[in-house]
Amino acid sequence: MKNTAIDPTWAWTAYRPTDEQPWNRTRAAHLLRRAGFGASSTEIDAAVAQDPAEVVASLVAPDLDAEFERESDAFATTILGSGNPKQLSAWWSYVMLRTPHPLLEKTTLFWHGHFATSAEKVEDAGAMYRQNRLFRQYALGDFDKLTHAISRDPAMLIYLDSTTNRKARPNENFARELMELFCLGEGNYSEKDIQELARCFTGWEIRRGSFRFNRFQHDTGAKSVLGHSGSMPEGESIDVVLDQSAAPQFIVRKLIRYFMFDEPAASDELVEPLAKELREHAWDIGHVVRRILTSQLFYSEHVVGRKVRSPVDLVVGLLRTLDGSTNAYQLGDDLHLLGQGLFYPPNVKGWDGGRAWINSSTLLGRANVIGQIIRDEKTRFAGGNLNEYFSRLDADSAIAIVDRLVELTLAVQPPQTVKEQLVEVINRPGDRSERIAEAIHALSTIPEFQVM
Amino acid sequence: MRTNRREFLKTTLGSSAVLSLGATVPGFLRAAAADATDDKETILVIVQLSGGNDGLNTVVPFSDPVYRGSRPTLAIPTADVLKINDELGFHPSARGLADLLEDNSLAIVQGVGYDNPNRSHFESMDIWHTCQRKSDTRTTGWLGRYLDGAQADKSGVSMAIHLGHEKQPFALTSVAVSVPSISSLESFRLNDGGNKDVRSTISKLATSAPEDRDSILGFLQSTTAVALKASQRVAQASRDYKTPVSYPESDLATKLRTVAQLIDSRLGTRVYYVTLDGFDTHSQQPTAHAVLLSQLGGAVSSFIKDIHHHGHGERVAVLAFSEFGRRVQENASEGTDHGAAAPMFLAGSKVRAGLIGEHPRLTDLEDGDLKFHTDFRQVYATVLESWLGWPSQSVLGDSFEPIEAFKA
Repeated sequence: MKNTAIDPTWAWTAYRPTDEQPWNRTRAAHLLRRAGFGASSTEIDAAVAQDPAEVVASLVAPDLDAEFERESDAFATTILGSGNPKQLSAWWSYVMLRTPHPLLEKTTLFWHGHFATSAEKVEDAGAMYRQNRLFRQYALGDFDKLTHAISRDPAMLIYLDSTTNRKARPNENFARELMELFCLGEGNYSEKDIQELARCFTGWEIRRGSFRFNRFQHDTGAKSVLGHSGSMPEGESIDVVLDQSAAPQFIVRKLIRYFMFDEPAASDELVEPLAKELREHAWDIGHVVRRILTSQLFYSEHVVGRKVRSPVDLVVGLLRTLDGSTNAYQLGDDLHLLGQGLFYPPNVKGWDGGRAWINSSTLLGRANVIGQIIRDEKTRFAGGNLNEYFSRLDADSAIAIVDRLVELTLAVQPPQTVKEQLVEVINRPGDRSERIAEAIHALSTIPEFQVM
Repeated sequence: MRTNRREFLKTTLGSSAVLSLGATVPGFLRAAAADATDDKETILVIVQLSGGNDGLNTVVPFSDPVYRGSRPTLAIPTADVLKINDELGFHPSARGLADLLEDNSLAIVQGVGYDNPNRSHFESMDIWHTCQRKSDTRTTGWLGRYLDGAQADKSGVSMAIHLGHEKQPFALTSVAVSVPSISSLESFRLNDGGNKDVRSTISKLATSAPEDRDSILGFLQSTTAVALKASQRVAQASRDYKTPVSYPESDLATKLRTVAQLIDSRLGTRVYYVTLDGFDTHSQQPTAHAVLLSQLGGAVSSFIKDIHHHGHGERVAVLAFSEFGRRVQENASEGTDHGAAAPMFLAGSKVRAGLIGEHPRLTDLEDGDLKFHTDFRQVYATVLESWLGWPSQSVLGDSFEPIEAFKA
């Protein structure tokens, strides 16, 4: 499918419910999957009762729940006490599972993948946690400020070998990735630009875990970066990079991919209107995310079912859809196994997403992890077992349970034969909750379950 | 995968394709055994060195004063070098590579690269994987294109297997062939919690989907099918493997041991793909690079010993590459930045052992980097034609002059 065929004017016009395209449970479930990690039947009903634009507005600008924030901070403090960065993924898994602000969390995850930094190399739980707070602070805010802040972030500079940077022979790593992966995209700068930009970052250091500017090691001479000349002190060079027209295009294209569809890459025509708005709105990411989630395009066939579920979307999504709670440490490990270890992205480019999530090992792993989690003693569904849970949703017959499962978990209708086989599984004799668990386990292996 | 399910089933599983688990396994395995080839076909094992290996400190021009001048803190002392000749020698930690050379089982292809080198990890890796530039439409990798041709008459055989937990290399992406990725043999199976009903339901679901699928769902369908099939075969194949060779303790060694095990299981697989990551040594290079070279040499030399012991030595070749070399001049963080030309390595008893081509001159640089004289596609062409017995032009998109890398 070519999205050059998508008319940008139509695409970015706000979605209004009509008789043909009503605001209903299907569309609300789609929104809550993409703007978060899936929603329970009750949450879907609550969204349907509101205007779709209002739902998005409160997702983009949430009133922070002070009690949840305290809970999350307390858990983080406990984990940081252990000093083990691996356990941080338990903390974040817990937050994703429980947060009242799913879009904030989902966008924080976006920035973790964008400004990818791995604890594998940083080996400092505190620095990783502080970087995560930085992402959270600016997640739906000012990309300009975020970029300046990340350029002085200890975890990032440790990750990119830039804890020392001397003027005699500057290290190019951070300068390269700032342009290639963080702001512009490959092909929008020259090797000479990298070398000159690297000179601008000389003297930027990490000492005892904090950023420090070492004026003795800073190259104060004139530089020429992307056609702009000067000594460019104190991060002025970052402004030069962000002033490139490629910068808002690069970010918008990536946001479209994250919130809308994996492939093909969004066309220039589709990207340009939002890139322009991102510039006009002084790099306000919240504005662009709101435009994406309220657009006609968002509710169209170009978007629904067009994203491969990440491990987080898959596992956290299933649990949130069924009001599930589970062992957060196990959940963190499971995400790692499936290729999305939180705080452990594979490299500085982050997770590629899309088809790259899928191979034979991860597919077997997805089924194994879901089969294990839904049967785990620590996993509860609204505090009870699966049979009790579906009874509460007034789904008692096998057919009703399968219909509910399909409605809540799938963006794309499965073949009728799949539903029939699942009904057969649930109708087998024995413990009803175990039969429902088997049905979910089997459901998790079908292609439709891997997309959203 | 850009194919629909019907094509997939036709090309990969044969017309009577049944995804058999549970009750029908024995018949399925019989079919697989019949498909699997005898012990004559050659096998290629790719070892990808991710991050950009510092070729200059791997095959060291120890007698060149320009080398010492450019590497005030990183130059390997002459006394430590494992000498190849009067000018070149291995990094002292690359003992395994030196041993292979001693055994007449290592070829060092010097000065490999490509025109107009790109110094982005991701872009340069894509170039090595696809043999195409960013301006081209890149949908398949070089090995994927080989698989598309070679798989046609090999229904039921996984012609290539990727071992590792990282995402599948672009090099293996093809039009019609799904390549299994195996992170470990232990985890590469469907866990049914001892409940056979679950297994049979899942296998039924895997075959019950309709055939007119758009591309992502079709891709998912075929990958699921390959996963279930390959996990069965690998589980059967990998029991009872014994080897007297003790591999060093490293991820790469574990992966290559698994490759040896799979080769000995006679799966009919022609290409195995593994990765060793960490070569992006911008700072504190000495320790990191020494560890990596020790892992590389140790793992590959143990692997070659192991396959010899099991009688497959003559039909296995290892090819190691990295997306680029590193800058000649070291940086101020005791590291090196991204560069260009670097050596590739071929290991196995059938390779023409020794140095192939000249070491690039340190006085003739381009933007501070070594110039290549051998295009990496010449090496690929050689491997395709002389080792896998496959016409290279359709795979590489052009004709490339082969190098003398294999014994006649």
